[in-house]
Parts: sequence; structure tokens; C-alpha cells
Amino acid sequence: MNIIRGFMTTFKHLSEEPVTLQYPEQVRPFQVRFKGRHHLRRYENGLEKCIGCALCAAACPADAIWVEAAENTDEARYSPGERYAKTYEINMLRCIFCGYCEDACPTQAIELGHEHQLSFTDRRDAIYTKDMLIDPVPEGGQDTPQQVEPGVFTRSIPVMPDAK
Amino acid sequence: MSDKVKIIIDDIEYEVPAGSNLVDMAKWYADNDIPVFCYHPKMEPVGMCRMCLVEQGSIVKDRETGEVVLDENGNPQVRWFPKLQTACTQIVHDGMVIRTNTEAVKAARENVVEFLLTSHPLDCPICDKGGECPLQNLTMAHGPGTSRMNYDDKMHLDKHVPLGDLIFLDEERCIQCARCIRFQDEIVGDDVLAFHERGRKLQIITNSDPGFDTYFSGNTTDICPVGALTTADFRFGARPWELTEVPSICPHDAAGSNISLSVRLDRDFGGRAMIKRVMPRQNEYVNEIWISDKTRFGHHFTRSEDRLKKPMIKKGGVLTEATWDEAIRFVVDALKAADGSVAAIAGSSTPNEDLWTLRKLVEGLGGGLLGAWTPTHAGADLVAQVGVGKGTNLGDLGQGDAVLIIATDLEEEVPIWRLRLKQAADRGAYLVVANARKTRMDDFASDTVRYDYGQAAHAMQNLDAAIAKKLKEANNLIIVAGAEGLTLDGSRALMQAAANFLIESGHIGKPNNGLLSPFPGANGMGLHYMGFSPEATLQIMQNPPKLLIVNQAELLADDPFAAEWLNKVETIISLNLFPDAVSNMAAAALPIQSFAERDGTFTNGERRVQRFYMAQGPMGEALPAWQVFSQLSEALGQGHAKLSAAAVMKEITENVEAFAGMRYKELARVERQFPDVGGEDLYYGGTAYQNKGGLGVQIETSADKGEAVSVGEVKLPDSPKPKKGQVLVVPVAQLFNRQSTFKPSVLVHPRVPQPYVEINSKDAARMNIKTGDLVEVMMADQIRVTVQAHVNGGAPEGAAVLPRYLTDEATPMVLTVGEIKKV
Amino acid sequence: MNIIFREKDIPNIREFDVYVKHDGYKAFEKALRMKPIDVINEVKASNLRGRGGAGFPTGVKWSFIPQSEPIKYVVVNADESETGTFKDRQIMENNPHQLIEGALIAAWAIQATAVYIYLRGEFWDIAHALDKHIEDARQAGYVGENIKGSGWSCEVYTHLGAGAYICGEESALLNSLEGKLGQPRVRPPFPAQKGGGLYSEPTVVNNVETLANVPFIIMNGADEYKKIGTEQSTGTKIFCVSGHVNNPGNFEFPMGEITFRQLIFDHAGGIPDGKQIKAILPSGGSGPIVPATDEILDTPLTYEDLQKHGTILGSASIIILDETVDITWAASKMTKFFKHESCGKCTPCREGTYWLDKVLDRILRGEGKPSDVDLINNIAANMQGVTLCALGDFAANPILATIKHFPNDFMAHVGGELKAAGD
Repeated sequence: MNIIRGFMTTFKHLSEEPVTLQYPEQVRPFQVRFKGRHHLRRYENGLEKCIGCALCAAACPADAIWVEAAENTDEARYSPGERYAKTYEINMLRCIFCGYCEDACPTQAIELGHEHQLSFTDRRDAIYTKDMLIDPVPEGGQDTPQQVEPGVFTRSIPVMPDAK
Repeated sequence: MSDKVKIIIDDIEYEVPAGSNLVDMAKWYADNDIPVFCYHPKMEPVGMCRMCLVEQGSIVKDRETGEVVLDENGNPQVRWFPKLQTACTQIVHDGMVIRTNTEAVKAARENVVEFLLTSHPLDCPICDKGGECPLQNLTMAHGPGTSRMNYDDKMHLDKHVPLGDLIFLDEERCIQCARCIRFQDEIVGDDVLAFHERGRKLQIITNSDPGFDTYFSGNTTDICPVGALTTADFRFGARPWELTEVPSICPHDAAGSNISLSVRLDRDFGGRAMIKRVMPRQNEYVNEIWISDKTRFGHHFTRSEDRLKKPMIKKGGVLTEATWDEAIRFVVDALKAADGSVAAIAGSSTPNEDLWTLRKLVEGLGGGLLGAWTPTHAGADLVAQVGVGKGTNLGDLGQGDAVLIIATDLEEEVPIWRLRLKQAADRGAYLVVANARKTRMDDFASDTVRYDYGQAAHAMQNLDAAIAKKLKEANNLIIVAGAEGLTLDGSRALMQAAANFLIESGHIGKPNNGLLSPFPGANGMGLHYMGFSPEATLQIMQNPPKLLIVNQAELLADDPFAAEWLNKVETIISLNLFPDAVSNMAAAALPIQSFAERDGTFTNGERRVQRFYMAQGPMGEALPAWQVFSQLSEALGQGHAKLSAAAVMKEITENVEAFAGMRYKELARVERQFPDVGGEDLYYGGTAYQNKGGLGVQIETSADKGEAVSVGEVKLPDSPKPKKGQVLVVPVAQLFNRQSTFKPSVLVHPRVPQPYVEINSKDAARMNIKTGDLVEVMMADQIRVTVQAHVNGGAPEGAAVLPRYLTDEATPMVLTVGEIKKV
Repeated sequence: MNIIFREKDIPNIREFDVYVKHDGYKAFEKALRMKPIDVINEVKASNLRGRGGAGFPTGVKWSFIPQSEPIKYVVVNADESETGTFKDRQIMENNPHQLIEGALIAAWAIQATAVYIYLRGEFWDIAHALDKHIEDARQAGYVGENIKGSGWSCEVYTHLGAGAYICGEESALLNSLEGKLGQPRVRPPFPAQKGGGLYSEPTVVNNVETLANVPFIIMNGADEYKKIGTEQSTGTKIFCVSGHVNNPGNFEFPMGEITFRQLIFDHAGGIPDGKQIKAILPSGGSGPIVPATDEILDTPLTYEDLQKHGTILGSASIIILDETVDITWAASKMTKFFKHESCGKCTPCREGTYWLDKVLDRILRGEGKPSDVDLINNIAANMQGVTLCALGDFAANPILATIKHFPNDFMAHVGGELKAAGD
């Protein structure tokens, strides 16, 4: 009798859908809050949101972020205000995807996205540079560096529409 | 300051020196950081920011009996001021009572911070000061948690105002504390900054052309309590918390300013540690918390792409790259082949360790002559005998003391001495400036003396009786004797005359008395103690050896006549930072490390031996020079090579008497300094850095030790006499110049003058030359340079003042007879 | 009774000859025969108080000057810039020699080496006229070397400011006079002390009206002077009446002799168009406003009586506001003045006035909230008592006093609950 009860469990599970997914052919849906690979965001006009303040690097518990800043000019403008990130690198092998960088960012320039397929055959490939992290230029926007009129971007953190 | 008074801070009694400032005393004795923005312990208080408000009162004493009146509980009765008082404007007095922890004080502090923040842009994320900002710190400590100011109501001002080529102003961040204005006015004496407008529109402006025209502008960025002033050098270079502070010493002049090299890894520098900025490091004996703009902005040479990066040896008549092993072997062979006819010349910024190992190498080969470069300033031996006494602090000079500055333009040669002696004059010291022309120091002098070029020693011996009397009768007397307009003989005569004056008036062998000389380079006195002398250099010139080792001395760039005798040297071994004309002639050109890449010591003009530490990644394969010499010695069988600079220093302490006891550990000793600026709390000094690298040790003079001193007979040399139609061409120092160690600092280029010559108006009229004309200066019948003429009263009649290192061509090191023609 | 405005009794007294004919410079000559210390004691005994606003006893101020210093100065504060003040102008235009004589007596009393008359920039015409009057006095031997054979020399100079309210503050005035930015100095040292005055020398700074009182005191003696006015407020005072009155102008009366009501209705002609009087600013923008209640209107005009009502006589620049005035608007107007005139040296005043102005603008635009009234009240309170000079306190007064006495004017703008006045 007991043995039948035991097999009942087995048969019950036989009739159920399998929980395993045929990754990578099948991709499991993500929660909105999932924290994957980072993105550097842009404004609608194409300017970078990152101002190179390195607060993300300061907040990073794994010391995975490296930022070097430089000064914008109106001839070659990367971000509004005076400062932009000349170098922006994240070592994905070090990163623990905690999202502290996102919290620390005063301009919401860095956001953790949903991309999670991060595998490398060389340690050096794990270092994502700014080119790899930054979003593509939104439609109607202009790539950086931009040449702009003097006196337009005088505020560090302006009120400007985000790229959609 | 010996009188003590009793004050009560937050119910605890302290005994403090009378006449001192309350904020300083609260910090020093009670460790009570009364928050301040405008107050700076080096400047007069102004009470502007209102941050330091405290409750103040005094103990009531009976008018007749003088007894302290007690209240019913038997405690002394205190009469409180009705309003809060600014602590920064209070001088301590007996019976002073202050409270810093009451509700009223806390509220006042919170209110002032709130007021300040209403106009502050709060762009801390991109601010260079963010992370080491007194406003941030005091806001965290005393400010309100929330803002009541409507963000849209904030005043918007210009965020990018270049005050000069080196300093930028962010008008929004400025909290109008006037520290920068007061620094320029009170401490420097170049009052090139001012307030403009009033009320909320009050802004800093520069009223000089070119803007912010001073040699000390960078200091304003340190003392700025917010990020309003930033330097062109560091702008957005790094965040302060990412920087590592490495103690170092300024390699440019005899002051030996204590600096802190802020380093960080950098992509553009191959991921190696790189100097991001140079900050002052507090040493109250040497540079207090100030450094000149040359010290601050003149570090780029250390990682110039023009640096010599690989050892080069001559193969088949051509200099080719080699490995160090090859190079060492090559040089050893050359040294052996020289048969003992070996001499060495070392530049004036060569660290002590290099000098010692070089000396050992030369002596081990049986050679002898050790020359100091440039051979222009004599008398280091006299400074060793009657130099300023051990414990000297130029900051102590004041009322009753006297300073004589002769034959030097301190502003251009040693700006930190000029800064500190100007302040001594402000404090009441009797300052006499003697020179053949007007120099900047004249502006601060009590008396000035003029003499003809070449006659400095004569002028020193024949001072005006009234001036001489005042100097002799002064409590303390320091003579600063340079070598402007003198030959080496003339320089010796002047130093002897100055030494004699000091000995006669008894101003030797005690602190704040004695002789000082602005030797070029950072280690002019070290050269002397290690046995290198300019006289030996002259002998080498007259009698060139078979093999000459030239270390960090650009003979051909400094002296147009050097080729004459250098050609007679068979083998030149050159060690230098840069490939130069000498290394091109050399059999071997070896790359050595600059001060930033290695450990070492310099001996400054006040004979203070001070340590600098490794800060930056090395350029190419460069090695410290001591290591090269040490390895050569080993290869020559003179014992094992030393493995560290510390080991070299240990050997020096055992062999050079003056350096006895100066082990690295001793040089690294620090003590708490007053005022307590800097420090990790970034309390009231702004961002001057705490000294963690050592205060250095001053070498005793012979007079300090009570030994007999011998000055020698003063021989007044003949100076060259110009014939009719000729002028004396006098080389003078120019702080911002095109020397190889300063030229790579591109950001300062706009401040380096175009090559010029100062001509007296009478001479100019005779030659029909006006300011701005291009003229050709011909010196000693063979050296020609084309420069702009300045007829601005800067030169005495019959003399043409030609600043050094402005032209690409080398100009004579000492005064010559020459002619000037309009081009 | 006119001690100061003698031109009302004697036409053309501005001319030197006329002034001398009517006992002009007699007081100075009498003073020259007295010992300086006796002159100071006489002025001290008269209890003459400074007419510039603070009401500090003049003789006491003079006695602070250290006699041992060789160089001392008298500075005449003619930077009349308090809102609603125009008395000094009339004195200097119509009775200038009385000022010069008073200044010279002060100079003799402290043995000063020079007198500087610092005029606001807009008074350039008066400065020119004064120069001529000083020249007349010099011709007669009252100014210059060895005055009237006393062996004492004293020059009198005029100096024009550049138009800044703050330069009426004595230490800012001294800075301006030295050619520096007009910002107040840290005290101590006070102007009377070595290191604190003009060019670091001990200096007496007196208001024009104050000094114009001095010849009378020396001429007639302190006892005679004390008979005028009350015990604590001796002498006459010039009241500058402006605003909503039919007959604005300067009125000289012995202190305590008249009340606000008499001054406004009997002398200044009452309120135009039969409107009701709403409020009084007894000392321009800097003194606390008072509502025109019967109690206030019947207050005698003296230093001490006004103090009892929480305001000050100050320089007696009385501005009358009628019932049509929105006190919130008036507060904003005064705040704009102080914001414009704040020198910017110290934080609470520089930032506070700017902030107050922004919030008041918001309130007047109708975008304010009831909490904004509390906010400005608090900002103003935070400015008081912590600034380097009195301007910070002055700038807070228009807010604190208006909200105290006229809360409903504010509440009407921000849609808050109406309150009973005086809460």
C-alpha cells in the first residue's frame, strides 16, 4: 500500500510540465528588477548622461569600475556641464551585479540592464570599455563629441529629456 | 608668547599663551574644532562667514579688590555677552569663558550653513574639491538635514571663469570668504585679486594683466574652503579619495619646499601611477603650507615623452640602444681605460645619494676632481660654517630682527624665501635689499642699496653707516647673498664679505642668524657636503680629464663656452633625464630617474636634509643614478652594490660627518606643528597636507658647534669693464623659463615670457631702441641672441639684463661685456 | 524752536557773512579758549545723543579717543542713505556753516588733525557748495594752519562716496574713505581706538545733525541745552516725514514735545484724500514698523518712548503708510532695498536678503503657501544678531515686524487663516 503511495508522487510528477528550460534556445522571462550588464545612458539629443564623477567607482564593493574624467569644451562636448568620462571601464569578472553603482549615480547615467550572457575566453575581454557600455545614439540625436553653441550647456545636471 | 592666560572652554580650564587666537587655541589645546570658513590661521581674521559663533563671557572680578566674584553656588560668576561672538576675532584673555556646545551655538551654525547652501550649486559630484571640502564636512557636521530653499530660486552664475592661465573660478561655488584675496594681499603682497560688486553679486575678480599675475596663485586653490578655485593642472584629474599622497621635495629651488605628490594610476600613462597634482605639505620651518607655482605646476618633466628611456652606448661612432648589462660593461671598460684620469660634474639638483655614490666611484678609480654645476655660486663652504643657525625659522623673524638681501632676485630664484621674508618685513623686521637693479623685494624693503654690477662685495663691505648700524644692532640678522651679476670669484668675495659682517656683529651660531644663499637647484648645499665644488669645476674646465662623468648637468645648454673644453675630454659618460647636447657627445648616455620615481634626499639652502619618496612609475628603463654608480663600483671590484637608497644614506651617515645620525628613519620623523592646518580632518587650513614624510634634519654649522670659523682673505676681483658703445650683459634668473625640467609643463607656457633683454632708458635712447624692438645681443664677441628689448627701468645704466633660459640658445652663465644692435 | 534749521528764522544763513553776523563761529572761538577736555565734558553733560540712528551719547564717544595719539580724525557721516531721511541734506544746503563749526569744535575737543566730510555720491552738488563754504571759513582763519592763533591746525575735506547704503555704517564708511571696498570692519578695534579708525588712527565718526547741535551747546552751555527735550532725549530733533501725508518734509521739534498724531496731522497735513492711516515706519526701512493705533499715535517722540513700543526713533525718518498699502508689498519693497544694499561681506545678510526676496516674490505672485510666511519669519529671525554690522538686523526688521503686526496682510496672499493682529 505504502509503495503505491510512494509511486503516486512519481507518477504525479511524470505528468507535470518540466521546469528545466532549453537554454540558450529558450530564454526565461526576466523580472524587471533583474540586474544584468550595465548600460551608460544618453539624453535624447545624444549627449552622455555620465559626468565622470566616479561615485560609482567609489561605491563599488568589488572595485570593478575605473573612471577617468576630462573637461568638455563646446567644440567637443560629450556631456552637459564641464566634466565627462574619458575612460569608463567595468571589469565584468569582478562585478557582483549589486547595483550600488546605479544607486550612487547622480545623473542616472549607469543602469543595470537585462543582458546576462557574459562569458569570456580571455580575462582581458571581461573589461567592458565605454564604447561597449554606452547606449547607441537615439534617433534624432547626435553622436558625441558634439560641437555645440557656447553658453548652452552651463549646468552640470540639466533638465533634459532622456532617450527613449 | 611666554605669558599664559587661563580660559575656559566648555567648562574645562586651559592655560594658553596670551595674545593668541581663540580658534587656534581651542583646536590646539582643547581639540575643539570651532567651525570656520573665512578664518585661516595664517591670515588676519575678518569675521565674515559667521560660522564660528560661540557664546562668550568673562569671569566677573570685583573692580576694587580684583577678586573673582562668586555666585550663590560658589562658582565664579560669568558675565555673558548678549549676542553670540565670532570666535575667530577673539584674542584670548584671562578669565575668558566660551561655550561651543549650547543650543544657541548649534542653531547659529546650522543657520549659517543653511544660508551658505542656499547659493551653493551642490554640484559636488563634478567638483574637484568634493571629498576634501570643508563646506561638505561642515555641512555634514553642523548643517541642516533638509533644504528649505526652493531649488529654482538659486542664483545662477558663471561656472567657468579663468582668472589667469592657471586658475579657474566657479562663481557659483564661491562663498565669498575672501581667503584668496587676503592671501594675495597679506601673505604674498601681489594684491591681484579683489571683490567686485556687492551683496549676493559679490564676486572675485582679478585686476592684473595678465590675469592672476603672481607666482603663488596655486595656493589659493588649497586654502579655498570650497571648490571655487581650481587649477588648470588638476581640473577633473581625479577624485581626491582616489589619490595616494606621496611625500616629496620640490626639485626646483633651494627652499626645498615640502610637497605631497598626489598620484593615481592612469590609462594614458600605461596604467602606472602618475602624478595628478602637487600639493604643499606642512613644514613650518621650510615652506609653512605654501608652494610656488613652479613647484606646483613644474612636475610634468618627470613623465615627458622626451625623457631618455634606454641606455645608449656608442657603437661604431653612433649612439645605439643597449641593455643595462651592456651599458655597465661598456662604461666599466671606459673607466678602466681612463687610467685614473677621471673627473665628475654633478648638477645642482642631484640628490645626496647619487652624489655620494658618484664620489665613491671617482675616488675608487683614483680620480679626484668633483665639480658642482653650475659654477656660478661660490661660498657653500662658508654657509656650512656660518650659515643660519640650527633651528632657524624665517617665520620667526619680526620686530627687532633684520635681513639683508644682496645680489639676488629672490622672487625669481627662491620664491618661498621671498614670500616668507616679505612677511617678516610685515611683522616689523628691518629688511634691506641691495642690488644693482630694482627687484621685486624692493617693494617690501625698509631700505634699498644700489651698487654697480660686479661691485656687490665692495658694497657689502661699505654699507651705509646708518644701515650697517641697524643691521648690526638687530636682535637677529640673516644675510641672503646671491651671485647676480658676479663671476665665481666675485661671488666668493661677496660671500666672504657677508660672512665677515655676520662674524663681526656676532650674528652667527644661533637660530635665525647667519648666512643664506640661493644656490641654484634643489641640492646646492648637498653638493658641498658631498665634496663637489664649483672651483673644482673650473679646474676641470682648465684641465679636462680623459674621462668625465656628467650627472644631471646640461653643460652645453647652460654654458655656450662649454664645448671648447668638453671637446678635449676623450670619453664622456652622461647620465641625464633628457637626451641633451652633452649626451649626444657622450660615449654612453644613461637614463636616470627623476625625483618622482625614486627615494632620495636633498639638502636645502638652509642645510635641512629632507627625504622624498617614490611616487611615480619609472620612465622606460631609467634607474636611479645612485644605483648606476653603485653597480659600476661593484663591477670595478669596489665592494657590493647598495640595494636601496636607505643603505646609501646609511653609508653617508658613517662617512660624512655633517650627515651623522641622519638615517632615513630620523629624516622621516614628524611632530605636531602649530597651527594645526592640514591633517585628515581638513579643518581650517583648506587642503594643505599633513606632514607624514618627515620634517627633515638641519645640519649644524661650524659656528653652531662652537668651532673656529675661517672666512679667508677677501679678494675683490676685477669685473669686466665695458668700453664705449658696449654694455655689461648680466644674466639673471627667471622663475618661469624654458629649462628642460620646466619646459614640459605646457600649461605654464603662456606665463613664460618671450626672450627679452632689459635695457636702461639712457642706453636705449643712445641706441635708438624702444620697448618691443627686436635686438641682437652679442656677448663676448661670439654669442648672439635675438630678443625683445624692454626699456622699463629694469636695468641700471650701462647694463643689459638678460634673463636666463628664455632663449633656445645658451647664454653665458656670468656677466660678460657685450653689444646690442637693433635688428 | 529751531536750533538746526536756523534758516527759517534768518534768511541766507548759508552765507558766511550772514552766519557770522548771527553769532556764527562764536562757539568755536569759545571752544578754542576752553581746554579740549572741558569741551568734551560740556558735550557729555548736555547728554547729546547721536542723531544718525543709534543714539549713542556724543560726548562719551569723544572721550574714548586716546589723547596720547598724535594723529586723530573727525569724520562727518553725511552719507544720508536711510530710506526716508533727508534732514542732513537740508542742513548742509541751508545751514552748512553750523555743521562746519560743529565739526571744528569736535576736532578741537579730540585735537584732531583733519576733518573729513563723507557725502553720499548723489550729493555732489552739496559737496561743491560745501567746498566753497569751507574755503570761506578758511579765508576767515577758522580752517587750516594755526587756527585763530591757537597753535592748532586742522584741515576740512569733503569726500564723495559712490552711492552705497552700507557706507553709512561707520566702519564701512571709513573703508570707503580710504579707497577700499565699502564693507564693515571687524570690531574691536573700534574707530576710536588706534588701529580701528581712519587710516588706523583714532577717529570720531558723527552724524551731520549731531555736530550741528554742538555749537549751541558750547555757546549756551549744557544746562541750557538740557532744558530742551526730555531728560534722556535732550535737544531738538529733526523729523523727516514722508509717505502718505499731505505735507511731507522736515520738522524740527524739541524731543518729547510732540506725538506722532501731532506731527502727522497738525504739521504734516494729515493723510491725503481722507484715508485712514495704517502703519508708521518710525525709522525708515531699518526700524520695526508699528501699526498706527491710538496708543502709538499718542506716543511722544523720544528715544525712550518709542523703545517702549518695540521700535526705535533711529534717524527719525518717519514714513506714513495709509490703509491702501499692502504690508506684504511694503515688506517686499524694503527687502529688495536691503538685498540691493547688502555689502555681501557676511553670510546671513548676503544670503538671507536674497532668499527673503525670492520667497516674498513668490508670495506676492500668489504662489506662496502659509508655511512660506513661517519660513520668512524664521529666515529673518536667523539673520538677527549674528551679522557683522547692523544691516543684517535692519534687513530682518521689515519681515519680523510686519508679520508680527500685520499677519493678515500675508495670510491674504497665501490663503492662510486670518489671525488677530499682535499674535
